[in-house]
Amino acid sequence: MSPEPARPRPAAAAPVPAGPRLDVYPLTGRRGFRAAGEVSLPTRVIWERALERAVREGEDVYYLELSALTFVDVAGAGVLADAARSLGEGRRLVLHRPPGSLPRVLDLLWPGLAGIEVSAS
Amino acid sequence: MTTAPGPADPFVHPALFYGDPGEYLAGTVPFVRAALAADEPVAVAVPGENLRLIQDELGADGAAVRFLDMREAGRNPGRIIPGVLRAFADGRPPGRRVRIVGEPVWAGRSPAEYPACAQHEALINAAFRGREVTILCPYDTARLDERALADAHATHPVVIPAGSGAERASAVYDPEGVVARYNVPPGPAPGAGPDVLGVAFDAESLSAARHLATGHGARLGLSGAGLENLALITAELTTNSVIHGGGTGALTVWPEGGHVLCEVRDKGRFTDPLAGRRPAARDQRGGRGLLLVNLVADLVRIHTGPEGTTIRCYLGR
Repeated sequence: MSPEPARPRPAAAAPVPAGPRLDVYPLTGRRGFRAAGEVSLPTRVIWERALERAVREGEDVYYLELSALTFVDVAGAGVLADAARSLGEGRRLVLHRPPGSLPRVLDLLWPGLAGIEVSAS
Repeated sequence: MTTAPGPADPFVHPALFYGDPGEYLAGTVPFVRAALAADEPVAVAVPGENLRLIQDELGADGAAVRFLDMREAGRNPGRIIPGVLRAFADGRPPGRRVRIVGEPVWAGRSPAEYPACAQHEALINAAFRGREVTILCPYDTARLDERALADAHATHPVVIPAGSGAERASAVYDPEGVVARYNVPPGPAPGAGPDVLGVAFDAESLSAARHLATGHGARLGLSGAGLENLALITAELTTNSVIHGGGTGALTVWPEGGHVLCEVRDKGRFTDPLAGRRPAARDQRGGRGLLLVNLVADLVRIHTGPEGTTIRCYLGR
């Protein structure tokens, strides 16, 4: 092992510590929310609260408008999977235009998961 | 030699040595046919050219066999236990043995891949201990080098010498020794250069580090699912460093041949060699990050020790 850790390159490559955002807005006209930003470690708690509300509200179909969501990490996908599982028979979450990797991660890590429908239109 | 399974272990893991297609078929096809005759679930996960040999020989009888090209399904050795072997073996009705022909080591494996192959073969023993499963692993004596053939004797409790058909215990079985022996640094990451992104990260800069990685990955030729995979891998590895690896780490992204490499180093230490190789239990919360990394990367190399952990992932571009 080379003794040095990967050397941070100066200036150009130093990450700007701008905090990532996740904003959640209720939908008008139907039950659900629109999420904008990213789901990662710093924003996970916002995502968890939004999905806890979705489960609590008890609608048969709950819409998640995700076209402005840029990224969801594995733990964020797990929050969604947990929410879907706790919905119970006959209820589902409809994901509208999620980031492409989200359905793939759900398929890979939660195969056969019921309670989530992906809508691209 | 501390891990030899007791006589009661129902898991069977023989290495089958073969020198030509005749020996290959003589060693594998009766194994598959015996499973079919006993109505046992059977899968064949071997490189494409060998897959076709077995399929041709089985003919219509192959309809009940699950066939996988190991060059694709098992490109990353770290994917084979969760994504191939347990994906097939888990959830089968109890009381019936599951049989798999699995060939993860072939002559074209690169020097970067081989250590992960040897560790994978060794870890199969721990991953399947106690289970009613047989995994038969063919080894090509005509084309593999001496080291790979010698390692096969250390990773398999039983061996079937070429052309013999007779199984015997391996005198040098030592899977933990193999895991330790190949726990080696994957070679130094390159220093600064126009094609190299090197960045230190902590909890505050996780997101920024991921954005820098994907921006750099795009410049190096990744797009679509490949670029999404780089984002996922970077997020999972850097988040692990922040939560479990001492809170900080170093991320490096650079090109090497047909791959983009993404490496994360931190001060943490892996204590569970099967981390990232178990399919997650249905109710398990968390702990799937490294599993996802193994499922989507073309190769994952891990080096861990008292000084810290390095995880290097390869993504085809």
